[in-house]
Order: sequence, then structure tokens, then C-alpha cells
Amino acid sequence: MTNEPTPKKISVFASLEMAVTFMSLTAITVLIGAWCPQEAVVGREKVFEAFAPDVAKFLIKYGVSDIFHSPWFLFLIAMLTLNMVAVSFQRVFPKVKLLKQVMPFLKGRQIENMPVARKIYLGNYSSSAAMSFVVNELAKRKFTVKVDDQSLTAESGKYGRLAATITHIGLLTLLAGVTVTSWTGYSGFQPVLLGETMSMSGSQHSKLWIGKLPTWGVRVDSTRRENYPSGEPKQWYSNLSIVDEKGKVLKQGEISVNNPLSYDGTDIYQSSWGIDAVEVSFNGHPQRMQVQPMGKRYAAFLPLDQSTVFIFSVLDTTAPMRVFAKRPDWEAPKLISELKPGESVTLGTVKLKFDRVIPVSGLQYKNDPGLVTVYIAFAFIMVGVMLAAIPHRHIWVSVEDRSGNEDDPDRTLQLGAVEDPDATLKLNNVADPDVTLKLSATEDPDVTLKLNATHEPTETPARIEATHEPAGTYLFIGGKSLKAKTGFEKLIDKLVESLSQQIGPQAPPAVTAAKSEPKSFNDRLAETLENSPASHDEKLVAAGADAHSGDS
Amino acid sequence: MSDFQLALTNTAGISSVMSFWVFVASNGLRGKKELLLKIASGVLIVGFLSLTIAIVARGVEAQRFPLSNLYESLLWFAWATMGGYLWIARAYGIKQLGWLASLTAATFFLYGSWLPSSQHEIQPLVPALVSYWRQIHVPPLIVSYAMLFLSGLAALLQLFAAGRRKTLAVAVTTIVLAVSAIGLGTFTEIAVHWLQLLFVGSSLVGVVVAFKLLNQFDASKVNAKLAETYDDVSYRCIAIGFPLLTIGIITGGLWANHAWGSYWSWDPKESMALVTWLGYAAYIHLRIHRDMKPEKLAVVAVVGLLLTLLTYLGFNSLGFGGLHSYGQFK
Ligand code: HEM
Repeated sequence: MTNEPTPKKISVFASLEMAVTFMSLTAITVLIGAWCPQEAVVGREKVFEAFAPDVAKFLIKYGVSDIFHSPWFLFLIAMLTLNMVAVSFQRVFPKVKLLKQVMPFLKGRQIENMPVARKIYLGNYSSSAAMSFVVNELAKRKFTVKVDDQSLTAESGKYGRLAATITHIGLLTLLAGVTVTSWTGYSGFQPVLLGETMSMSGSQHSKLWIGKLPTWGVRVDSTRRENYPSGEPKQWYSNLSIVDEKGKVLKQGEISVNNPLSYDGTDIYQSSWGIDAVEVSFNGHPQRMQVQPMGKRYAAFLPLDQSTVFIFSVLDTTAPMRVFAKRPDWEAPKLISELKPGESVTLGTVKLKFDRVIPVSGLQYKNDPGLVTVYIAFAFIMVGVMLAAIPHRHIWVSVEDRSGNEDDPDRTLQLGAVEDPDATLKLNNVADPDVTLKLSATEDPDVTLKLNATHEPTETPARIEATHEPAGTYLFIGGKSLKAKTGFEKLIDKLVESLSQQIGPQAPPAVTAAKSEPKSFNDRLAETLENSPASHDEKLVAAGADAHSGDS
Repeated sequence: MSDFQLALTNTAGISSVMSFWVFVASNGLRGKKELLLKIASGVLIVGFLSLTIAIVARGVEAQRFPLSNLYESLLWFAWATMGGYLWIARAYGIKQLGWLASLTAATFFLYGSWLPSSQHEIQPLVPALVSYWRQIHVPPLIVSYAMLFLSGLAALLQLFAAGRRKTLAVAVTTIVLAVSAIGLGTFTEIAVHWLQLLFVGSSLVGVVVAFKLLNQFDASKVNAKLAETYDDVSYRCIAIGFPLLTIGIITGGLWANHAWGSYWSWDPKESMALVTWLGYAAYIHLRIHRDMKPEKLAVVAVVGLLLTLLTYLGFNSLGFGGLHSYGQFK
């Protein structure tokens, strides 16, 4: 690939308009998905909880409550992917080549046209000293500097250019990883009682497209909760055994929230914890009672007769069980007894023994073959977006002699070259953009003229600036930065300032300017023309002489 | 909360209010402008430093990373807003953002101080939050929210400097309505559906009207140089905030995968962060169009601010549920 790439036809999918449109549509869709409870995440009941029945039915019917599985959402992702692939190959990846691009050395006149440009009069100061000063300053600011005799180029933040490429590679990799996962991976959840074994196929699991679920199961050998002194849960633990169909233990380990157990590519997580039941015996007859969460605790209710209810309240697997009795005529339930596991109490004719608590461990499992790919993608995306924050900066410097020679092309000002496209120049009704001001006719060859044109809608008075530019050596410095422009301008200004200090106070002011009063442009021009020597038949030439006289 | 910590936090809160007024006064009293600006910045620096110490003290007292509930995150947000502004002011030599930044910090302090005292107290962590991932995941997000907020504020100043006074008025009204929705959602019992409607409705109408009004402007009030600077500041804040948001979202995914075995579960807050992320991705790509008018981008940055607000505070206060409801206290 040595020759220049020929301009290719840009595919319709490679447009930025399309990217922004689809990003916005996706954002709106995800926003709706964030607002409406999603069946796939929290279950259909939540949709009915959150909305009136009619609204809920409507949302379910049109797929709003399962928006991330809707054809519309898949369509958006597909379009974004297509768009990104097309753009990446046509516009983004080719930019990597720009890294090798060499900055050409520029002349003062070109530098002056840069978005940021300054000119310093060097006077008697040695031009090579000025150059090496600038080189040093730029190197200090982490610029890569190339010097060629009397000019230099400097560049920084070049690797910021890789931002788009790296980010988009990351995004495409992410999509690939997610696709692998959704086709070949599985995950699920199952609350498992102490001592019981969970099988993947018997639990609530995601649909598997390719491959099959493992046949081994997970047994909960023990499980407990650790509390803060206040009784708030701090951590949940479960000791698990991986067992095969014949009951043989393949692996054992303890898990807690944030610390899973891995076996055969599948990770098993502690995702919730609760108490399912308490076991008590009445006169030696064991009985299991389901409990319900009540605040921080769990409670079981046992009606004794028409009016009296026994309440058994437990906090976790080890703390004592509280036994209350409740009657309608009592204001609050009465605490009858507190029993540790294994203890008993005699209540009238009944001997009540607290055998144990049956906890339930909420196990989440997943097998995610695309995970490594996704993690690599994450790394790319993070690096890419960080690179995007780096501004890519170019600086050019050139030291040149300005002889003051009349034939110097730099002494001609093109009136057509006004930066503001909305501005028009009115020179006594001459509106020809190609009008050129020739300064050759002025008495002082060192005068250059700068015209600020009238901005049509604003009618701000135009100013005529005459600049006295003594013949001599100048250092031109200028450059561009698409990002952080203001910071870049400050950088250049600081550099110019320190160079000016270096040159010292004895040097004559590099540039002197006389600004006219902000009269209207036409008045000013008329005045100028009146004062100008009649011998000059050209309409415009005298302006410089007048302004210059105001200079001294 | 110890008295030391309380005193420092209050100092920071009062500093933000004071610097706001001094910044405002500096615009009124032209003659003393420079002096007043110096004082305002000084006061803000004092506030920033006290808040820094207050946050560290809170961490020491709680013996954990002090970023685990809504109140603590508000302190971080105010801290990042103040710090972010001070950095911008230094790098860009601009001062007008000052009063907006102090106003924002002061508002967040006030919001935080109105929260029930249970939020102010140092509380134990729920199991899901006991992890070193917490300090990797949350700070980038809060700091990114602050930077993205500052970008929206700079965009408002851009609109002002570009003479787009009508668009500005609409944008400010929209933000005020959105903030009100969040305030009402936090401190009153008004049905959340109405508040959601207030937030989303006013944002939609406001943004459309703001765009429509962009071509009405007063050319005599245009300060092109200033407009360019604020445009640049707004972009710069996004250039810093966006990577932080990305890192926050991704590390959240890593944590979730570590803790629950799934890096993405379409939890409402996750989804909302993704919306915000896509919004700023759109902004960045609009920037790549060189011909996009800075005023339009400023309105997009205001949209971003609204999305950021919705992600950060809208979720708990406007009744979206999900995993991330630790900040909830009602
Ligand atoms: C979906 C379709 C997308 C398309 C068509 C697209 C297109 C582009 C193009 C053309 C560029 C400019 C490259 C250059 O001039 O150097 C770019 C830059 C970039 N894109 Fe995308 N993009 C897409 C999605 C995304 C997404 C979702 C992100 C998420 C973060 C993203 C992040 C970036 C970044 C960080 C840059 C670099 C910006 C900079 O240098 O300031 N892109 N994109």
C-alpha cells in the first residue's frame, strides 16, 4: 500500500448522520426500558404492580415491558453494528495511516493563516537562539519537535488520533462477545434449601441455543449469615459441594457475596439468602413451619385456638428463637420464651423444643464463553475513550527576514480573505471581493494595512488598523488543535511571552498598531481619502499613510 | 457524624453559598470586579479544601471508603463540581462559570442537608456493597456526573455569549423544572408518575423549543471570542467526563460480574447510564461534523445535563426501581 488510496464510494451506512440518528433512537429505547419494569428482569407481576391493569396490559402487548428482546431493539443494534462496520472500514481505520504522516515545514505567510498565529519581531536577537529557545520550550511541553534550519514543526497528542479506531474495535469486539455468550452460554437462579441439591436443568435458566446444560448438581452443605451488631446482614456464606449424578463429590468450596465458586467453566454465586422454615417439636413430634420475612426477622404463625396465636421469630441460623403469644385483647404480642437451637421449654402440658432453622441459599450460576472477549472489548473501549480526551496539536515555527521590499508578496492584503463569511466589504460602494490594497504607493514602505470589515447584520463600525512593521527578522509561530482550542491558544501565548522576555526589553516593539476611533467604515475611508495626496489616482492607496501618521 | 466533620462540611456548604454571592456581586460592581473575583475564588478554594478534609475524615471515622449512600455521594458531587470548576478556571482563565458552579455545589449541599438524618449518619453496608469494587466503580461515576454537569453549565454561558438569549431562557427553565421534579420526588409524597411526567415532559418540550429558538438572536449581544471559549470549555468537560462515565459503567459491569455473575442485567440505573453514555457518544460524533454550529452543540450538552441528572438523582427520587436503590430512603 504505497500509493495514495483512491477516494472510495462511501456507503450510505458509513454516514455520521445515520450513526447519530441510531444512537439517539437507541438511547430513547433504552430510556423507555429503564422506566418500564422489564419482565425478563423482575417478572411480569412488577409491571402490574407499577401500572394500572389496562396500562400494564398495553405495555405487555406492545413489548414495552420486554423491550430489550423486541425486534425493534434488535433492529437498532443491527443497524448500529452495520453502520459501525461500514464507517470503521471506510473512514475510521484508514486514519491510522495518518500517524505516519509527516508535517511539512511551512513559511511565515502560511503560518499566519493558521487558526492561532503570532509574530514576534526579533530585532538584533539571534535567530538561532530564538529557535533553540522555542525548541526547548516545546520539548518541555512534551511536543515532538522537528527542526529544519530556520523552521520547525512540533506535534503532540498524536496517539489521540487512535481513539476512534480503538474504541470502535472495542465496540465491535463487545458485540461479538455478547453474541457468543447469548448463543452458547447459560445462566440461572435457584433458591436451594439447606442440604438439598440444585440441578441446572431443574432451575430457572436462560434458553440455550447451542450445547447442553451440565448434568452435575450443587449441594448446599451449610449456609449462614453474618450480622453487624445492629442485626443488619453483613455477609452471607454457603458451603457447596459439586456432585455428579451418582452423588460423588467433585469439588467443594465456600462462597459468599462477591466470592463465587467455579467448576467446569461455570461460576456459582451467592446472590441472596433467607430463612425458609423453622423446625420445632411439640412433645417430641417434629414439625416444620414455613416462615415469612418480617422486617429484619422471619416469623412463623401457629394458631392455637380461635383467639390465640403463637409466633416463632428467628433472625438467622444461630440467634435464639423468640416465642410470642398473641391474643386480640392484648395490645402487643407477649414474649413467652427465648430458645437457642436445641433448647426446649415447657408451656403448660406441651414441651416445645426448638430443633433448627432451615435456611435457603439463593444461588446464581452462569457459564459465559464470551466473557474473555467481552473483557478484552472493555479494555479497548476504556483505552479508546481515554485517548479521545487527548488533544492532537500541531505547531509550526519559521524565522524569516521581512525586507520591507515593495515587491514582497506579503505586503499585499487580499480583501477577499476575510474570515467571517457573512461579512461584506463596502469600500465606497466597491463590493468587489478581489480588490487588492497595494501599499506600494504609500510613503512609508513599512506600513501594512489591516481592514476589519463591516459585519452586515450587526453594523459594527469597521476599524482600520495600520500596522507598522519594521523591516527585519521575525519569528512566526502558529498552529491548530481541534480539541481544547482555548488551552492551545494560551499555550502559544505563554510561549510567545517567554520568548519576548528572552529577547529582552531593549528590543524594539515587534509590532506597533494604531487603531482608529470606531467610526463607521465609510466615514473613516472618506476621511482618509480626503487627506490623501491628490496625485495618487487610485482610490484606496492613501489609507495607510494616514493611519501611519497617527502612529507616532 | 463527628462535630469536626460536621463543621468542615458546613464550612464547605457556606463557602459555596458565599462564593456564589461574591461571584454575582463581581458582575454588578464593575470597578471592583477583579478583586471580588479573587475573593470568590479564594472562598471557593477554602470550601473545596474543607470538603476534601471532611470526606477524608468521614472515611477515617467510618473505617471504609466514604461513598456508600446518597448523602455521601452528594458530598462527592459537590467536591468534584468545585474542584472541576477551579481546574477549568485555572486552565482557561474564565470566571463566569464560577457562580454557576458554586450555585450547583450549594444546591447539592442543601439537598444533602435536607435528607433525613439517617443518611447523615455513618451506616453499615449491605452485603452487596462490601467490596473493593465499590471504590473503583463509584468515584469515576460521581466525578463524571460533575464534569458533565459543568459542561452543561458552560453550554448555558455559550448560549449567552452567542446572543441566544431566548434559547438560554428556555434551557434554564427546563433545568429548573427538572430539578424541581427531583426535589419534589425526594421530599414530598406526590405520585411519581406526575413527577416523571414533569421531568420528561418539560425536558422534551424545553429541548425542542430551545432548538427552534436558536436562529433568533440578538447580534449586538454576541461576544464571539467568549462564545468560542465556552464552547471549548463545554467540550473539554465532556472530553474528561465521558471517559470517566465509560470507566464507571464498565467497572460496574466487572463488579456485577464478580458479585452476581452477570456484567449487564438491564437494571434501570444501568440502562439509564447507558442512555446518558449514548447521548454523549452522539454529542462527540456531532462534534466530528465540523460544520455543526456550536450553539446547537450547546443545546445537546444541556440535553446531556438533563440525562445526567436523571441518571444520578432521578432514579431514586422519581421512583424507578432496581438494584441501585441503596440511595433510596423513603
Ligand atoms: C454506531 C455507529 C458509529 C459510527 C458510524 C461511528 C463513527 C465514527 C466516526 C466516523 C468517527 C470519526 C473518526 C475520525 O475522524 O477520527 C468516530 C469517532 C469516535 N467514535 Fe464513533 N461511531 C459509532 C459508534 C460509536 C460509539 C457507540 C461510541 C461509544 C463510545 C463511539 C466512540 C467514538 C470515539 C471515542 C471517537 C473518537 C472521537 C474523537 O477523536 O474525539 N463511536 N466515530
